[in-house]
Amino acid sequence: MIKLSNISKAFGRNQVLNNINLTVTKGEVVVILGPSGSGKTTLLRCVNYLEKPGDGEIAIGDFSVNCKHARKKDIHQLRQKTAMVFQQYNLFRHKTALENVMEGLLVVKKIPKEDAKQRSIALLEKVGLGNKLDAYPSQLSGGQQQRVGIARALALEPEVILFDEPTSALDPELVGEVLAVIRKIAKEGITMIVVTHEMGFARDVANHVVFMDGGVIVEEGTPGEVFNHPREERTKQFLKRITPELNYSI
Amino acid sequence: MKLDPSFIWTAFVQLLGAVPTTLYITVVSVLVGFIIGTAVALIRIYKVPVLYPIAVAYVTFIRGTPMLTHLLLIYFGLPVLIDGLSAYFGWSFRSVNMPMIGFAYISFSITAGAYMSEVVRSGLLAVDRGQIEAAHSVGMTTPQALRRIVFPQALAASLPNLSNSVIGMLHGSTLAFTVSVVDINAKAEIVASTNWKFFEAYVAAALIFWGLTVLIERLTAVIEKRINLYNRGGVV
Ligand SMILES: Nc1ncnc2c1ncn2[C@@H]1O[C@H](COP(=O)(O)OP(=O)(O)OP(=O)(O)O)[C@@H](O)[C@H]1O
Ligand SMILES: [Mg+2]
Repeated sequence: MIKLSNISKAFGRNQVLNNINLTVTKGEVVVILGPSGSGKTTLLRCVNYLEKPGDGEIAIGDFSVNCKHARKKDIHQLRQKTAMVFQQYNLFRHKTALENVMEGLLVVKKIPKEDAKQRSIALLEKVGLGNKLDAYPSQLSGGQQQRVGIARALALEPEVILFDEPTSALDPELVGEVLAVIRKIAKEGITMIVVTHEMGFARDVANHVVFMDGGVIVEEGTPGEVFNHPREERTKQFLKRITPELNYSI
Repeated sequence: MKLDPSFIWTAFVQLLGAVPTTLYITVVSVLVGFIIGTAVALIRIYKVPVLYPIAVAYVTFIRGTPMLTHLLLIYFGLPVLIDGLSAYFGWSFRSVNMPMIGFAYISFSITAGAYMSEVVRSGLLAVDRGQIEAAHSVGMTTPQALRRIVFPQALAASLPNLSNSVIGMLHGSTLAFTVSVVDINAKAEIVASTNWKFFEAYVAAALIFWGLTVLIERLTAVIEKRINLYNRGGVV
């Protein structure tokens, strides 16, 4: 179980996250929705400690970090329990697909090379890239790169995988292949927090939908609750804008 | 005065004896300079307290003054420092025991460090921020991320500039003659002084420097091809 308590973050005087509380149970797929600038990316980055929260606590299982007094060791441990799939993929450019997946296993988990290699090959096969092991990122399409990114995250066997708009940098015809992979691993019971604008995907993969606006969680619930019976005015407005074909009684 | 082509060849052969000296000076100053430069670049990028202003002053001072001046400052200043320290701590070492080439090593390393810090810094800045973030996200520590992810890419990005620095230091090493080190250029003067065929001797020296420079460029091209495979997306 992952528990975020009172997470706050400001950039200078711009308060981007304001007392965020969120509980994610094991195996749950949480989808975070919200307008641009609402703090979704920042929240994910805080969980991975790529951004240092100003305040709050991040707990994963019985491990917890108090953001005010986080030591290097805590941050290191937190990062090992979380993995990130980036909007811009951020694959290691000078490493092949296989090396990208192996890197964390070798350097962080200190797994013997042959073992790491076999595991990485299996993961790349799982995301449909068994034939691209030796390709460099520059030789792969965006969709393929993102699938390597997913394999790289899976390799670490984290407690939770964080996806920040994993398909929004992709050409429309490549979105499907990446979503299919995410769906597949969601079914395997891997805990994930996904920021996305893909409403169809959110509806049928999410167990838990969170709507953020202005640095706070405005509303959360099951997809049925949030999509079909939003309670808050801001949620209704947002859903109306993003899915114009649906009509919500206001 | 008549040109004596055969003396070019005679001088060429004699100058070869001084090639190791030139290469030692170049290699030492480039290697030490690269280490200094990397440290200075990291200090500047991470804005390390206390060291940051020192690093900035070092780079601006060295880049703002000629290499020959550095050599003379070291040549005349270092003995005072060494003998002063020796006397204070009761060491037996005296500056007169220091080989002349030592002044060239120290001074040119300091020169190279400042120039290389700029090269390394721009190489590091050329690496996308997302790379180190991705390294952190898989659980690497910052030193691991720098060593395994950032430095290799920075090196690839700065290779052309590094190669230029090496060539600059090779040519700059000729200044060592001012502290009586016999490099290729100084040797040319010595070889010619017996028969006044300076032009021929310097033609020979020029040919050797040219050859060494071409060699460095070739070597760079080979390394670049290997290291940059991933950029061009394929085996060329
Ligand atoms: N490194 C930063 N420095 C300063 N301000 C930042 C930084 N990163 C984000 N912000 C600000 O924080 C706010 C929230 O940004 P964030 O990227 O978290 O929003 P988002 O919900 O992910 O938006 P989008 O849907 O456009 O990706 C914005 O106002 C943004 O300008
Ligand atoms: Mg975002």
